[in-house]
Amino acid sequence: MSVFVASIGYGLVAAAVLAIASVGFTLQFAVTNVLNLAFAAVMITSAYVAYVVNASGVSVWLALVPAVAAGAVLSVLLNQVVYTPFQRRRASPIALVIVSLGMTLIIEYATQAAAGPNNVSYSMAQGPEAGVGAFQLTVVQYVIIGTSLALMAGTHLLMTYTRLGKSMRATAANRDLARACGIRTARVVTATWCISGAFCGLAGVVFAMNSGSFGATSADLFLVLILAAVFLGGPGEAYGAMLGAAVIGIATEVSASVVQPDYKDVVAFVVLLAMLARRPSGILGAPT
Amino acid sequence: MNGTVYYLTTVLVYGGVDAIACLGLSQQFGIAGVTNFGFIIFQAAGAYVAGVLSLGPDTMYGGFQSYVGGLHLPFPLPWVGATVAGALLSLPFTFLVGRRLRGDFAAIGLLVTAVMLNLLVTNYVPLFNGAAGLSLVPSPLQGVLNPQSATYQWGYGAVAVALAVLAFLLVNRVTESPYGRSLRAMRDNDIVAESLGVNLRARRTSALVLGGALAGLSGGVLVGFINLWDPGAWGYAESIVLFAAVIIGGLGNHKGALLGAVLVPLGFEEATRFIPSSIGPPGFIPALQWVAIGALIVVFLWSRPQGVLPERRRRLAQRLLAPAPAKAEMLATSALPTLDGGTSPLPRRNGHAPVPGANEEVALQAVGLVRSFEGVRAVDGASMAFARGRLTGLIGPNGAGKSTALAMLAGTLPVSGGKIFLFGEDITSLPAYLRARRGLVRTFQLASEFKRLTVLENLLSAVPGQRGDSLGGALLGRRYWGAEEAAHIERAETLLAGFGMGQYADSYAGDLSGGQRRLVEIMRALMAEPSVLLLDEPMAGVHPDLAQKIGRFLLQLCAGGMTIVMVEHELAMMDEFCDPVIVMAEGKVLAEGPMAALRQRSDVVEAYLVG
Repeated sequence: MSVFVASIGYGLVAAAVLAIASVGFTLQFAVTNVLNLAFAAVMITSAYVAYVVNASGVSVWLALVPAVAAGAVLSVLLNQVVYTPFQRRRASPIALVIVSLGMTLIIEYATQAAAGPNNVSYSMAQGPEAGVGAFQLTVVQYVIIGTSLALMAGTHLLMTYTRLGKSMRATAANRDLARACGIRTARVVTATWCISGAFCGLAGVVFAMNSGSFGATSADLFLVLILAAVFLGGPGEAYGAMLGAAVIGIATEVSASVVQPDYKDVVAFVVLLAMLARRPSGILGAPT
Repeated sequence: MNGTVYYLTTVLVYGGVDAIACLGLSQQFGIAGVTNFGFIIFQAAGAYVAGVLSLGPDTMYGGFQSYVGGLHLPFPLPWVGATVAGALLSLPFTFLVGRRLRGDFAAIGLLVTAVMLNLLVTNYVPLFNGAAGLSLVPSPLQGVLNPQSATYQWGYGAVAVALAVLAFLLVNRVTESPYGRSLRAMRDNDIVAESLGVNLRARRTSALVLGGALAGLSGGVLVGFINLWDPGAWGYAESIVLFAAVIIGGLGNHKGALLGAVLVPLGFEEATRFIPSSIGPPGFIPALQWVAIGALIVVFLWSRPQGVLPERRRRLAQRLLAPAPAKAEMLATSALPTLDGGTSPLPRRNGHAPVPGANEEVALQAVGLVRSFEGVRAVDGASMAFARGRLTGLIGPNGAGKSTALAMLAGTLPVSGGKIFLFGEDITSLPAYLRARRGLVRTFQLASEFKRLTVLENLLSAVPGQRGDSLGGALLGRRYWGAEEAAHIERAETLLAGFGMGQYADSYAGDLSGGQRRLVEIMRALMAEPSVLLLDEPMAGVHPDLAQKIGRFLLQLCAGGMTIVMVEHELAMMDEFCDPVIVMAEGKVLAEGPMAALRQRSDVVEAYLVG
């Protein structure tokens, strides 16, 4: 029982990390219709940026700033320099997925070529544990959960109350119509990739904190979790991604305690395939 | 054995293995358009099965590795097993390749499956021996021959290359058949292919099976040579290498796949062998190799998406074409009298034919048809009946639900409510391809030609029940389906000449003008020999004179017993050719009757004015 309770705690942390990444991923899909498989690669590259700064003696919390900036800049560039030109040529969604896989290889292995093949970790204090009974988390883990909750709330406010958020939703619903209504969709798209890229950079650092050590290809499996969370909630649905992240994050950690840690990601995989087969528009998306 | 021989034979075997795998992927992706990012797991499965079929029981080697099987089968049974394993592994993926799932979503599903299977295999020791993989896999015939001898090594290389050649002949035979043509049609536009009677799920599964079999065989050949099976060598990124090879070589061209196999998987391994490993930190060069693979894919898709060796145009026209006369003259002197208005035996129907009466047979009927899109009711309880042998018009302002109604009748869109009957049979839940096979065929409002098929191929792709239009028929070869194909080409050319399009028979449909493409679409639908034909704005972009001739031609088809429904904005066409005419507005049927009578009705006129 105590194992189960403890796994709920880890599940909350996993869900918090996953939610940041999934919301970023799904926003990109919403406004540009691109399944950006290079998302996890950008995450890891941002995590490395934080590592380099951290290794020079700066606190990892300060190193978050350049890492988040790196995620934002890389994502905007990825969209502007690679995906948008392909879309202007009316490349098929399949071609874009292939391109995004090519970009995954480029970003991931360029990072590896620069950083070397060995895993690295941040020098940071995890802080004392606190909690009730078997439910014990470190201060850092509480901070991760708190940050994620704050970001989700921020996303909600952005989408509901700001002009940019409304423009994003309009662009996601129908880009041509949005442009015809006077929304500068190109700017909205760039702003979205900038915000989601910042999410991506942040997700990379908290992912690296949470896994202890990381290498250039460490986030490959995490991409499966992101996809599962996004498709569970419905691709392009920000709230769906939050819901999906909560379910997938907790389900994987609980299954790790019940079955075997090596197979915990299998839950996400099964969920993803089931959603693709039965309801590809997700729980919150409109059925086709 | 000396180093050079060892090196050269290794290159030969790897070249053969890569070529077989690339041909499988070329067939699957380049021809059928199935994006199987998990392709490499089919090779891995073939290798594993070949390994455990040729190994003895796992207790035989002191139990240092565990696996299932261990049947110790003689050569070539392990290779046969590898091929079968690759083919069978396709079947669980059938559910991902139906019509409802976007192609990129299905590709994601296959990619994730590859990642997950790799994870499972490296973690689950009893079945696959975990990350250690299998070793001591016997070489074929190692009891009879000496695998260490130079002769054996050269022989192995020769067998691998010979198998690659056989694989090339096989995929070419399949691709150049009517079956290959319908795979390419599906690749270019799957929804349209389905509306012409193609069962997408079955077709894509058959493409997965053939590609998977070749991948499995390549794995079997490889594992017998290197005597190892290492799950680490079959990560998802290895699939991307093969995709790079096929894209760079040329999609839709199997020679391109061979070239790609030599350039990418083989060329990369060999070229980087000569870079001193002292450059950069450890792992620097291998990492850059991956960067280069990624860059190759992106750069080629951008600057030369057709690859080094582009898909070849299939010239099938048999008729020796005279220099093209002027278009109008061509139509007037056409071989097909039916398009010549002067000889039309039919009286005009306008104005004096009755609304379908009780004595007329109803070909197609819709009762209470409903379709909603996120709360908007595009079609809202429309009921209509189409009498056999009539050309019925369907008009209404934009957004009236005409095209949506047509799509539901043809099965392109599922209904939200209501029933559809074809000659009395309830077809409401039948998928589009089965309706097409029952003779209910549609055309599309938006351009829907198969772009990378020639005009003649577009027409041929619609012919139902072709002998060569199945994997089995294709394998039997031209001798089996050639004679029938010639007859179909003859028929298609007659139709083309009648529409004044003879000189375009061997042109790519994607290169034609908008009006010409409409004609291709109408002719293609006619090649499907429909009993009920649904036309969605067939005259849009067509020259008025030609539209007149087509209208008369359609009336003649009706006189022959065909039922035609035509959505059209041009009311003059309705006046002249359609009777009755059904008016839709806001998702409902507003009125029905001869056009002249409808013009008198104020509600109809108003719907048009305010709509």
